[in-house]
Amino acid sequence: MRHKIGQWLLLGAASLALASCGASVSEEQSGNGEGTIELAEFPDRPYWGDTHLHTDNSIDAFGFGVRLGAEEALRFARGEEVTSTTGTKAKLARPLDFLVISDHSDGLGSTRRLYDAPRMLIQDETLLRWHDMMHESPQQSQRAVAEIIDGAARGTLPEALLDQAAAEENTRDIWTAHLDTLDRYNEPGKFTAFAGFEYTLMPGGNNLHRVVMFRDGSARTKTVIPYPGLDTGVEGLWDYMEAYAAATGGEALAIPHNSNVSNGMMFELTGPEGGAMTAEYARKRAKAEPVVEVTQIKGDSETHSFLSPNDEFAGFGDLGWELGNLSMTIKSTPDMYAGSYIREALKRGISIEERLGVNPYQFGLIGSTDSHTSLATGDEDNFFGKHTGSEPAITNRALNGQNLGTNAERFGWHYLAGGYAAAWARGNTRAEIFDAFKRREVYATTGPRMTLRIFGGFDFTEADWNGDWVRAGYSRGVPMGGELADGGKAPTFLISALKDPDGANLDRVQVVKGWIDASGEMQERVYDVVWSDMDSRRMRGGKVPAVGDTVDRATATYTNDIGTAELRSVWTDPDYREGQRAFYYVRVLEIPTPRWTLYDAVRFGITLPDAAMADAVAQERAYSSPIWLKPAR
Amino acid sequence: MNLPDWTREPLVHFLVAGALIFGLFSLQGEEVDPASRTIDVDRETQAQIALGFERLMSRPPTDAELDGQIERYVREEVLYREALRLGLDADDAIVRRRLAQKMDMLAGARAETEQPSEETLQQWLAQNPERFASDTRYSLDQLWFAEESSATAAQSRLARTEDWQPLGERISLPASLENEPRDEVLDRFGVQFAAAIDELEAGDTWQGPVASGLGWHLVRLRGKTASSVPPLSEIREDVENDWRSKTIDQRREDAYQVLREAYTVTIDR
Repeated sequence: MRHKIGQWLLLGAASLALASCGASVSEEQSGNGEGTIELAEFPDRPYWGDTHLHTDNSIDAFGFGVRLGAEEALRFARGEEVTSTTGTKAKLARPLDFLVISDHSDGLGSTRRLYDAPRMLIQDETLLRWHDMMHESPQQSQRAVAEIIDGAARGTLPEALLDQAAAEENTRDIWTAHLDTLDRYNEPGKFTAFAGFEYTLMPGGNNLHRVVMFRDGSARTKTVIPYPGLDTGVEGLWDYMEAYAAATGGEALAIPHNSNVSNGMMFELTGPEGGAMTAEYARKRAKAEPVVEVTQIKGDSETHSFLSPNDEFAGFGDLGWELGNLSMTIKSTPDMYAGSYIREALKRGISIEERLGVNPYQFGLIGSTDSHTSLATGDEDNFFGKHTGSEPAITNRALNGQNLGTNAERFGWHYLAGGYAAAWARGNTRAEIFDAFKRREVYATTGPRMTLRIFGGFDFTEADWNGDWVRAGYSRGVPMGGELADGGKAPTFLISALKDPDGANLDRVQVVKGWIDASGEMQERVYDVVWSDMDSRRMRGGKVPAVGDTVDRATATYTNDIGTAELRSVWTDPDYREGQRAFYYVRVLEIPTPRWTLYDAVRFGITLPDAAMADAVAQERAYSSPIWLKPAR
Repeated sequence: MNLPDWTREPLVHFLVAGALIFGLFSLQGEEVDPASRTIDVDRETQAQIALGFERLMSRPPTDAELDGQIERYVREEVLYREALRLGLDADDAIVRRRLAQKMDMLAGARAETEQPSEETLQQWLAQNPERFASDTRYSLDQLWFAEESSATAAQSRLARTEDWQPLGERISLPASLENEPRDEVLDRFGVQFAAAIDELEAGDTWQGPVASGLGWHLVRLRGKTASSVPPLSEIREDVENDWRSKTIDQRREDAYQVLREAYTVTIDR
């Protein structure tokens, strides 16, 4: 009977570990933060965060090897030192202000469960094989997960893994304990821990994933469990969010991401089933999805050079990702790109609005990591990897093929170091930051913490800089994410971009405009608005000359001898035509700096292939949320 | 009843549990011998099988499913015992790692759910004050310059005027901070500036130029409130979180060390 007693003990220990332990959390911590701290009159600084982080509760992250959970993820984001799964000590030089842990809702905790399951109870042969692979070695474990992702993309996952009803009780246990952990680390005024999950819809491997984030504390979020993505439609997710709001008085929003590997399906001109898009669908989408994650480790989705041939800075972070969908089961063709990148989506949005009277793609922009290591790192010199199989302990990670799909055309060096979300809020609470997302007063960066502020109006002048221009911005205009009503006058923008105090200087500030012209065609144009050393860098042929490059390839270092600390401009649209729908967003470029791949090459003494070396230096950037110009009603 | 302190030590529980298991195994003699060829699927075992099924499937098994499970159990038990007889459990990396992980988990499990007493937390706070000290707070005025030479040039003019704000160059940085925590200084001005400010003495004079990643600053550090350790009531959650995560690690390590001491290990070099 030896094993029986042993098993009883272990079951006891396992169920204990799942039990909740949040009995002593204060009400301030467990609510949405309203009324807990003194708020600024206007949003006075950007709060930095990551809305897209996976821990050991994610079906793939665990299989990829991560053994750090929510607790470590929160401690790390708050600025404490933790030890990564592969044994490297890690600490952020500057803490984050907020974090959304977004584990996959499908099979929440199930890889860990499969790993821990008594082998005799696993009936499905595929699951049994994965179970054994996970126990065999990290490499085998990563292979098992690649098979799981591939299976999810092809719709061939074993029934036992998909049966949500069967898994519901387990999910509820994990979710409840997780929400208690979040409340314990949520501290209004200092650090905000959001409840969330990732909805992982991917028909045929086309990425239609969304991160869902909640405004509320555990009293409300415990009334639901994360909504499954496989085998559902996105309207089901929106209904789930609506039902949650109606039942609890709380709120949730969804953030689409990695449209770059959706093969054109993320931002379609048609409805989801191929027919014409209905106003009802457009309205539901706009309400549920006010923000899109435009940049992250798996590439950048601003625009593709095929779509924006006149934009010499287009195509950032497209290498590798442009080849196919998420699982590389279907290759991409150029005709698919239009539905995969946000600039085109913003154009499609106003064009649909012209027809339907409602814009399904009126969204703000953020960046985030999508790290599967429980570590929300966003900088080039601290890249902790897409997942545990690409942590820095794996010194040739840049050269390895990726685990996604079975295809060898995507390599480690195609990963970006990450992205962060900045939210202009009046204070650091769940309610304040969530509401900033809701009104789109947020922006994206590829990792550096530039401070970017814009206001749109009709009467801003250079003189505004001399006074309290932030107050002027709010009282006589709208901040990023807002709407202006066309009054027959060209819109003017107050734009201020400050470099990351611990990062590279700024090269230039650009305004990207999209509009519908007189013949109903969608148009775009990129304007260089203000740049460093304007006296010596004169525009030639409508273009500003490149800022230069101080990166030493042999040592992975750069200097701030070029570029500047701050760029400001009052910019008026020179091509304004009355009655034309338009949007304007700002892109800020840093001077060229080493990518993580170059740091790796120098630190670990590895030789990058030519294509990777050519991509080892880049101009990191920030994207503001747009301001829309709409015909007056 | 007052129990001596040592009885509350998790490590003691761990060892007692270990001894108990060992004792049970020895008492049951014949039956626990893996070499035995008698398999008794009693009611208790069946209940365990049913429970295992229910944990995985979120419903009890039907009679047919239970029969199937029992059949699987018997089959696995037969093969398991034969495998043990052949010594197949030795030198198996999966078996080794899994059993080692289970030992680790047992050692830490109690701390995951335990509600620490007020005294425990108070003591934890007293022993590790540096981990809970509040940020140093700063009140300061600053002027920014792109070049060091401009900052130096402005310094002499500052001595002659009260109207200091126009002397700096234009930038989107706060000219003054009032009693802000160090984290806020770090966020606004970066690592280099925050480290430099840490070294300055508070006073009425303008100091610098101080370098930051943004350029050069002249700084009047009007106030500096040293960090202090708040009372437990204000930071109970932080202390408990810290206690929990560190205690789990510590108990695992302690449990290992106790076991480890019983071993003689030689490593050929």
